Amino acid sequence: MAYWFLRGLGHGIVTTRYPKAIDVWTQTLPTPPAFHSDRLTLALADRLVAVCPSRALAREADELVVDLGACTACGRCIDEGRGAVEASGVFELASTSRERLVKRVRIGGGAG
Amino acid sequence: MSEPTADQLRRRALALFGRSLHIRTVDTGSCAVCESEIRLLSAPPYDLHRLGFFLTPAPRHADLLLVTGPAVRAMDNALLKAYEATPDPKAVVAVGACALGGIYEEDGLVHGALDRVLPIDVYIPGCPPSPLALLQGLLVAVGRLEERVAALSFDLVAEAER
Repeated sequence: MAYWFLRGLGHGIVTTRYPKAIDVWTQTLPTPPAFHSDRLTLALADRLVAVCPSRALAREADELVVDLGACTACGRCIDEGRGAVEASGVFELASTSRERLVKRVRIGGGAG
Repeated sequence: MSEPTADQLRRRALALFGRSLHIRTVDTGSCAVCESEIRLLSAPPYDLHRLGFFLTPAPRHADLLLVTGPAVRAMDNALLKAYEATPDPKAVVAVGACALGGIYEEDGLVHGALDRVLPIDVYIPGCPPSPLALLQGLLVAVGRLEERVAALSFDLVAEAER
């Protein structure tokens, strides 16, 4: 029998928790974009939509619709929109609802 | 006190798997990068066994299906057989941007998104999702972690105001 299992029985713990503090190296993982909404313009939003290879970005009137489920974290929108777009640093994106993975960012800022 | 809904009952049943969950992976036409990340789950830095998760080769022994790929139509039969062979209560986790409908349009070859074929419990985005993201998704599936993404707006101005 595996040693960890015996040791776990001895301590009354068989399984352990998900790490509380995430390793430093995870900061280098490719992550979906986050937007400085006040620096977005309609023209820039359209350029971002055009450069997205996986249909993760779309523009609806004055909102940029970001589908995190479709995003491959390729970083092309971050290159295109330097200053207005940066990596979000969030990679723990699991969701029980597909709709909750679709985010709406108000172009030009303001409550949305 | 009101009767629990079917969804609440399912959540409670899945919570019973919290310390021992067996996982069967199904590939519906993925490029195999998701698989390489799933394989890494048993490597020492991630070590899914310490969390009580185990990979099993048979759907009949599994509690959870970890499905990758854009649901190619050629896999319909095998996928549904695997789903039906998995005993209830069971969970289905869609892994990667293909399975979530990001890469392929629906056409004669692919469904384009896994939720057109099976009911999905947890969606794990990423191309591919990091093994840590997979672990978080599995823990969300059994109710041991809350999902983070619901509270995030991905609008840095709105985040700064909070």
